[in-house]
Amino acid sequence: MLTRLVLTFTLALAASAPALAQQNPTLTVYTYDAFAADWGPGPALKTGFEQTCACTLEFVAADSSIGALRRVQLEGENTNADIVLGLDTSIVGEALATGLFAPHKVDTGALRVPENWRSPVFVPFDYGYFAMVYNTELMPTPPTSFEKLAGNPDLKIVIQDPRSSTPGMGLMLWIKAAYGDDAEEAWPEIAPRVLTLTRSWSEAYALFLAGEADMVLSYTTSPAYHLMVENDPRFAAAPFREGHYTQIEVAGILSSSPNKQLANDFLTYLISPEAQVFIPTTNWMYPVADIELPAGFDTLFVPQKTLLLDDETVTENAARWIGEMLKSFE
Amino acid sequence: MNKAAPFFRTFDFPRRVIGLAIAAGITALMLMIFLAVSRADIPLSSSSLQPDIPHLVRMSLIQAALTTALSLGVGIALAWALNRLRFFGRQLVVSLFATAIVAPAIVVALGVIALWGRAGWINGLLSAFSLDWNGSIFGLHGILLAHTILNGAFAAHILLARLETIPARKLKTAQSLALSPLRRFMVLDWPAISSSLPPLGAIIFLLAFTSFPIVLILGGGPANQTLEVAIYSYVRLSFDLRAALNLALVQLVLCLLIVLPALLMTPSLADAGTSRHLHWPDNKNARILQWLILLLALVGFGLPLLAVLVNGLGPGLFGVLVQPRFWQAALTSLSIGTASAILTLALALGLATARNSFASPLARTALALPAFAYLVIPALVLSLGFFLAVRKLQIPPADAAPFVLILANALLALPFAISVLAPALTAIDRRYRRTARSLALGGFTRWRLVEWPLMGRAVGIALAFGFCFSLGDLGVIALFGTSEFSTLPWLMFRALGAYRTNDAAAIASVLLLLTLVAFWALPPLMKKLSHARS
Repeated sequence: MLTRLVLTFTLALAASAPALAQQNPTLTVYTYDAFAADWGPGPALKTGFEQTCACTLEFVAADSSIGALRRVQLEGENTNADIVLGLDTSIVGEALATGLFAPHKVDTGALRVPENWRSPVFVPFDYGYFAMVYNTELMPTPPTSFEKLAGNPDLKIVIQDPRSSTPGMGLMLWIKAAYGDDAEEAWPEIAPRVLTLTRSWSEAYALFLAGEADMVLSYTTSPAYHLMVENDPRFAAAPFREGHYTQIEVAGILSSSPNKQLANDFLTYLISPEAQVFIPTTNWMYPVADIELPAGFDTLFVPQKTLLLDDETVTENAARWIGEMLKSFE
Repeated sequence: MNKAAPFFRTFDFPRRVIGLAIAAGITALMLMIFLAVSRADIPLSSSSLQPDIPHLVRMSLIQAALTTALSLGVGIALAWALNRLRFFGRQLVVSLFATAIVAPAIVVALGVIALWGRAGWINGLLSAFSLDWNGSIFGLHGILLAHTILNGAFAAHILLARLETIPARKLKTAQSLALSPLRRFMVLDWPAISSSLPPLGAIIFLLAFTSFPIVLILGGGPANQTLEVAIYSYVRLSFDLRAALNLALVQLVLCLLIVLPALLMTPSLADAGTSRHLHWPDNKNARILQWLILLLALVGFGLPLLAVLVNGLGPGLFGVLVQPRFWQAALTSLSIGTASAILTLALALGLATARNSFASPLARTALALPAFAYLVIPALVLSLGFFLAVRKLQIPPADAAPFVLILANALLALPFAISVLAPALTAIDRRYRRTARSLALGGFTRWRLVEWPLMGRAVGIALAFGFCFSLGDLGVIALFGTSEFSTLPWLMFRALGAYRTNDAAAIASVLLLLTLVAFWALPPLMKKLSHARS
């Protein structure tokens, strides 16, 4: 009797397992850590998408978006990932060159993206502008350009190493986009103002909050976090005359994915107003869909002049430009 | 010693086999990792950075040599002072000094800045007296300060353990001869600690040579960098694994050249025993100097850590403690820490006891080198290699994550554990070898009856190292971490990356507190256990 019961039970389990898997495919998304974290957009997107997709959405967090891309490169064709989410415009060219990504079928026509950025392979899902963030109480009159910043010997800024950090790379491109060939002369003037280059955005921001530097390279949207979560209105982004470099975050489907339809569905959901509404207050970036921004975002400075270098130029020259920049610090 | 004894017939045979097997296993693992990385077939990116290797090597060598000299000097002075002085909370202070080296580097760096930075405590104090210190903590001196805090405190911890094994009978003799403090140091202390200095110096040198986050934050820019940073940028930016591997080999060879002589040195005679029941303070002048050293060390080493604790134990702590994910991560961290502590101890004992059973320097070095393997290979290359190897074995990385974390951190803690255990084991071996052999006490029985009762404290310290290194790990988990599997440092890293500086500070203070408890409780606990069984 008992044997029979056990047998039936085992058989039932064995039969149900593949059936369950067929009914409920898993869509695996590699992303950077803050996106998947409990306070990031990940959990809300998971709940929202799973209500309609009859699937399981799984976020796998790497330490950064570059880390997520490297992991897919390591895993090659055998990767579990269907989507890599969170790559930005400075690395899109390189991601494309890996040949690991497949064209998407998502209608991105209605999206509002800076410079009207579009790609047949990558879907933009949020964007922001790099800016030097400061404390208005400690510095009532911030510099209004990199030139002014370089000219003030009392000023200390903290930035990220372009070799290890996306914002660090963004600053390097910012200076390049603003000064062109003169960037090589601009860096030696900015370098003395730099307290230190950190490995990641987190470390730089922590140094700034600890009062070690007057300004930190971050985003124009950073003050919104302090205002809305901490109820602290002291922080602001300094408008720079040169304009502000744009970061667009994108997601791409891997050509090895067996769930391409589902992946396309997810990306369509990701840029829909229902999903985009989570972006401003969990990822602290601007949404690409035409939705109303939460109160608090209206206090932010929005750059009139924005800068963006095209993907190919960036991919071709980034390493050389980084070399130029780092030389000023040695 | 027993040079003539045939290999198989010696009573050391089981120990030799276990030791050699461990050494071979670690070597094979390292080879597998190198092979996995070199075989990885990844198309190269279009452009690659060209780091200035001679410059990096020169900077790393200068920085590491200075760090080693400073740390050993500070360590000896501090161990000397702590050995002589008795005061309330001494054990806590000793534990505090041990925590620096195992805490995540970013925590220590931020602690140093909280004390010495522009908005730090020292400047706050100075400006209260309307003094102004315009110096900056960023630069080579900042790196040296942070490294000396980490390694000097570690050295003091190890050397203090050596000083405490000077037998009471020797102290009594010296006391009756009324040795001056200086003579006492030369005659009693120096022989006890000198055999620990070369391996200790080697560890400190390697740590400084391969240091990464501290060098990057406190270095004030790329002028003061190590090879490890260049390797990192190869992997990260251009994903040129072959170039990264070549650089890793350069680093490996350089480090071996430096470590080998230190390991080949024959250890001098050391004592086994305990001086616990005899406290002999020095004269008044020496005591004043000792108090001064202790005070300086407390300000220099203790305050940065205290700053981390104070910053974290604020109102943010409660918000963190009510999060289920905190407890989940804490549970994961504690289990992995415990498993890795036990593994560290087993590996360290296996290697160190086998080393004592060989007289030939070649065999002894072959058993010592694998312990250092993990220190000289860049963490990024290691975690890449582990990741690739695990994939090759067709194991999903998420399933392998806990085991890789335990193994990798045990290997990381291994040289530290050995530096605690080896001198004690050597001393015991010198003293009791003949007795043990005449009684034919083989491997385990000798451990139970002779060694364990005499080295409970050392075992406790080794366990604490194993536990805390994996508690603070941020290197290996970066490739293996998923949203479900997370540890406390990973959670801290997450919080830092999402503006949640207060959460991060709270987690950092919890981490430090756990480390402190481990170093405060484990050595006396093990000592008690070892005495209870003898």
